[in-house]
Amino acid sequence: MSEHRHIIKTDAPPTSSVEDRSRGGGLWRDGLRRLGRRKLAMACLAVIILYFLLAGFIHLAELFDWPVGPMRWQEEAGKSYSPPGSKNIFGTDMFGQSVLRKTLYGAKISITVALCASLISIAIGVPLGAIAGYFRGFTDDVIVWIYSTLSSIPYILLILAFTVVLRDRSIFGHKLAGITAVYLAIGLTSWVGVCRLIRGEVIKHKDRGYVQAALSYGCGRWRIIFRHILPNVFHVVIIDFSLRFVAFVHAEVILSFLGLGETNNPSWGAMINDARMELSRGVWWQMVAATAAIFVLSLALNIFGDALRDSLDPKLRITRES
Amino acid sequence: MREKRDNHLLEVENLRTYFPIKKGLLRRTVGYVKAVDGISFAVKKAQTLGLVGESGCGKTTAARSIVRLTDARAGSIVFGQRDVLSAGAEELRRLRREIGMVFQDSYSSLNPRMTIGDIVGEPLKVHRAAAGSEVTERVAELLKKVGLSPEHINRYPHEFSAGQRQRIGLARALALKPKLVICDEPVSALDVSIQSQILNLLKDLQEEFGLTYLFIAHDLAVVEFFCDIVAVMYMGRIVERGSARQVYRNPLHPYTKALISAIPQAGAARRGRFFSNRSCFFAK
Repeated sequence: MSEHRHIIKTDAPPTSSVEDRSRGGGLWRDGLRRLGRRKLAMACLAVIILYFLLAGFIHLAELFDWPVGPMRWQEEAGKSYSPPGSKNIFGTDMFGQSVLRKTLYGAKISITVALCASLISIAIGVPLGAIAGYFRGFTDDVIVWIYSTLSSIPYILLILAFTVVLRDRSIFGHKLAGITAVYLAIGLTSWVGVCRLIRGEVIKHKDRGYVQAALSYGCGRWRIIFRHILPNVFHVVIIDFSLRFVAFVHAEVILSFLGLGETNNPSWGAMINDARMELSRGVWWQMVAATAAIFVLSLALNIFGDALRDSLDPKLRITRES
Repeated sequence: MREKRDNHLLEVENLRTYFPIKKGLLRRTVGYVKAVDGISFAVKKAQTLGLVGESGCGKTTAARSIVRLTDARAGSIVFGQRDVLSAGAEELRRLRREIGMVFQDSYSSLNPRMTIGDIVGEPLKVHRAAAGSEVTERVAELLKKVGLSPEHINRYPHEFSAGQRQRIGLARALALKPKLVICDEPVSALDVSIQSQILNLLKDLQEEFGLTYLFIAHDLAVVEFFCDIVAVMYMGRIVERGSARQVYRNPLHPYTKALISAIPQAGAARRGRFFSNRSCFFAK
């Protein structure tokens, strides 16, 4: 054999050195491993999971009519406005209903609204942003024009208008209940942020070598967008999701506070609204319970979102870890 | 006018690729960057044509124009009796199936979120050349061909060295059994020792599959070793063309002479040539 054949064989495949093993797996697994090392972030994740489990549990209880605590919020648990004590940890409201049960039940409304709104905004924002960023030209102009127009309207006013329009409408024969109108309104108005982010990222990735390589062997444009580029920018969506989730929880609270959200069941916004009148009588517990529930969830989501960004965003990796 | 020769796989005639310079509020075109300004060359089957020149002289743009990654403004490109520039979407897809491309930057040209198996198998899937377990078999075969172990099929690009990544790029380019492989500076980002390994591999593969190469480089020593015909590009034009030996031994154009005199030679430093303060050849 000629000499160069010998050389080829010596070009050894990746060795299983220590460093190599520590890097094994994809970039996702790499990022998640880094995330797993952050104790605070993991604690926050536990809190977030707890909220989600609670919301899911209440949904199930409602479906199967389980007589669990939060489901019995309507029952009279004590005297009207009895302060926090051994019988009712968070006290009772005007009708003698347990504030604790109402707060727990409120988690269901908030999480459901925020989750559905997030999914709607991702479902609209991600494809639109990717298409605008990849095709540019006229398509880009139209999409940018739409989101610029939407984002120039004050956010709360826009959600209010959407909610008022959507409320009690029926779509495909289904009457939009209070909560559905709320998450539709939030989702339909808040895709702008994620759309803009994805558009920017796709523009950045469009000229990268791997996209050019895919084009050079005849890969179609849609396949390039959805199979090549999107997996590379999807961490942006996840990070945005975790941070925007908080904003959606707040939006729901604001809408409920203004009486546009869920009216038949307790939610954190409605509780704060009730507490408005109670505070002057020195009844603080309903306000504190609802605010604390929001505070803990917001804090956990913010810290976790930050950690997620640090772990998944390759640009921040070196500076933050050093 | 043009004589059609059957043994020519690729014929490029008077190719011009200009990039518009846009200025002002209305983005009006005020001029053009003439990246490729009327080049002509032909590559015979199983031959290697080297395109050399300094950075920014239009080599890469010329290569990208051939697979229509960049739109050419004028000229004609005939690949295997088919006109590339006027090809419709479906025709272009078929053409791209027969032209493989290897890129300079082996890191950015491999999708970091895809495994090696997916990267090499993707062309097969796109052209429906294989399906199911057949893809995995073909990928394993290709990896073996380029000197990698098929066991690495589930690894990601960042786990490989630059030389290995270039082999992966090569395996991808060969996946669809192309007739022409365009190598856009495949070795210029590699260490010298790895360079020779990749070049030897390219030569082996050429012998085995009867490949035709369009080889782009700025390193004349590499080109002399690797190419049959050399075309020297300068500022978007081909200034000299001939057999590799001829051009290297007896350069005619002053730019080619300057290029060749820039190759460091063993012992030259001792003779005081390597670090000489000679000014630019064209500044005289």
